[in-house]
Amino acid sequence: MARKDLLDIASLHREEIEFLLDQSTSFKKLFTRSVKKIPALEGKSVLMLFYEASTRTHSSFEVAAKRLSAEVTNFDVAHSSITKGESVRETIETLQAMRTDYIVVRHGHPGLPAMIARQTTASVINAGDGAHEHPTQALLDAFTIKEKFPDPRGKKVLIIGDILHSRVARSTSTLLQKLGVEVAYLGPGSLVPKYGPATIPRFTDYEAAMAWAPDVVYLLRVQLERQDVQFFPSVREYHRVYGITTTRLAEIRDRGLYIMHPGPVNRGVELCDAVMDYERSLITNQVENGISVRMAVLDWLTPGGDFPKQEAYIAQQKAGSPVITP
Amino acid sequence: MLLLQNARIASENSPALVESDVLIVEGIIQEIGQSLAIPEGARVIDARGRVLMPGMFDAHVHFRAPGFENKETITTGSEAAINGGVTGVVMMPNTRPALDSATAIATVLENAKHRSRIPVYTSGCVTKNREGKELAEIEGMRGLGVKMLTDDGDTTADPAVLLRAMQYATEFGMFFASHCEVPELAGPRALNEGVMSYRLGIKGSPACAEEIIIDRDIRLAHAAGAHVHIQHVSSKMGMETIRWWKSRGDVKVTAEVMPHHLMFTDEHIGDYDTNYKMNPPLRTQADCDALLAGLIEGVFDIIATDHAPHTPFEKAQDFISAPNGITGLDTALVSLYNHFVEPGKFGWDLVVKRYSAEPRRLMGLPVAAIEVGQEANCVLFDTTAETTFTKEFMKSKSQNTPFIDQTLKGRVDLVVLGAEILLER
Repeated sequence: MARKDLLDIASLHREEIEFLLDQSTSFKKLFTRSVKKIPALEGKSVLMLFYEASTRTHSSFEVAAKRLSAEVTNFDVAHSSITKGESVRETIETLQAMRTDYIVVRHGHPGLPAMIARQTTASVINAGDGAHEHPTQALLDAFTIKEKFPDPRGKKVLIIGDILHSRVARSTSTLLQKLGVEVAYLGPGSLVPKYGPATIPRFTDYEAAMAWAPDVVYLLRVQLERQDVQFFPSVREYHRVYGITTTRLAEIRDRGLYIMHPGPVNRGVELCDAVMDYERSLITNQVENGISVRMAVLDWLTPGGDFPKQEAYIAQQKAGSPVITP
Repeated sequence: MLLLQNARIASENSPALVESDVLIVEGIIQEIGQSLAIPEGARVIDARGRVLMPGMFDAHVHFRAPGFENKETITTGSEAAINGGVTGVVMMPNTRPALDSATAIATVLENAKHRSRIPVYTSGCVTKNREGKELAEIEGMRGLGVKMLTDDGDTTADPAVLLRAMQYATEFGMFFASHCEVPELAGPRALNEGVMSYRLGIKGSPACAEEIIIDRDIRLAHAAGAHVHIQHVSSKMGMETIRWWKSRGDVKVTAEVMPHHLMFTDEHIGDYDTNYKMNPPLRTQADCDALLAGLIEGVFDIIATDHAPHTPFEKAQDFISAPNGITGLDTALVSLYNHFVEPGKFGWDLVVKRYSAEPRRLMGLPVAAIEVGQEANCVLFDTTAETTFTKEFMKSKSQNTPFIDQTLKGRVDLVVLGAEILLER
């Protein structure tokens, strides 16, 4: 159960997930204070290793690390020796020599954070690896859902869009299922893989998916940059067939469904502009919650291999005693 | 003079092993029989309990020279072959420069003459630089003994080019070996499209990418009256396609299967283990089962390894960045014994037929057999011993194999070619 790294959701135990979500609640309480910083990671170093472009995940991790008083270094891929043909392995050997405590890594190749984790004593956090996993996104999604549904068991989340290329779909659906949430996929036949988990219903028809009666509609960003061939005829057709149009938004409002999206949003594709003003849109909440969840993750992981905090939590859970707070 | 006493002799014609003495004089098998007299000066080896079989012949290896000698050379590749009980090989032409001319072929053959202790044959390219556009100067290569033409690693994309090549080269008695893959469908992925590719977040290569070209190339061979050899089949439907064409009886088609496609599935990739990254990719258990059935039935004429060495540095990258391919020569015979012969899935006769006799027939070479009057070309195999595939054990320059540091049942104890003992343990 001890963790040096957070690489995926698939290998996380339910107790670990609940621990992290509880810790996130505690960290979120800090946000209303005038001083939002605590010394939990004082003297520790966090290296941000982003091979892919990112705004919200990168800044969210940076803010989270700084609120824990860690030193943050941004590895500048554009000006690194990678441009001279240095391999990731060589880069990691160099970085390992610098003895950083945490490495937050995003890369287009699945499995690459796990490879780094095997080669370094630093705690490695997967901030997205290709179409594989994005565990902190899943945690912040679950946290956001739990704020609305404190006991989410039996609730239904419909994930709509480009499931095939989405690490968010994989991680979030895996995590929600571990919490007892029902998940279904909706999207074009070319983007909803037939090899997905058998426990997840697969829809290609919007009306049929809505008849499944979801509580939350989770829209994925259409990742045109990951599509090496054409998967649907046009974004106009996509919006009409799978998007939240103004007509569909009215129905969603009538049903009182929540809307989520990991961002960045392609307006007019996944959703119409009006969704941004919809009172049950949780898109901004997701961004805000990303910071507390990432604080919880950074605070939880133990570089090198000393794991008292989480073991103590699980022991307390088993003994029925109250949850520890930072 | 060499006398092997009480060896259990394997042949392609019978599943039974016949216990006999074998006397080799000046590189020729002079006598086979019970309790042969020991000639004066003869070296005697007690082979009791061990299997004596013809040397294997691998019709699909990459020796990387010229151009990639950091991965393998003709010397290290052929020593890996001997280490695994293989006494003849056919190199693929995807070297740099590609083996697309008489000059390039002559260079390789000249090197091999001096740098290999076993016969090394090469295939030649169908098209110049394997680009699929202009025909290579095929007749010039034939003059140096090339029989097999292939753009291995790349499917000849334009069917018109391949059809013309088939029409042209068949007149010279040459045949075509096809790497079957629609590149637009397969992509650079080297992972079967399925549950595993979804779980790992890698876009998979669907089996149909392979099956389409298997069918296309046999159809082209049918139209041209050519002989086509389908390389490294990995899928059930690919096997069934070949079976169907063979059953028609009006096209000359042969096919090969690799030990790794018989033994491993995409599940073995586990946590992105690049030692299981190859092209065509490992598929499912149903595919493995079908390939094994196809081998036993005779849909596959030969077993070959697609020995594809890469440096440790290249394979130590992440799964997407690492190159395709695994080594196979050091491990082939022992792994076939361990996985199939010992558990009783097929006998030694199949191993001899599919990995020694038929590959030599494919190449128009005399078949090696443990028979009086034949040149000695034999392997002594201990079924009671084990082999641990340590880095030190391997003779290949590269160790990119799933078997690295594994211990398997069986051991190649002795390799004899003509008057020379190439290996003795």
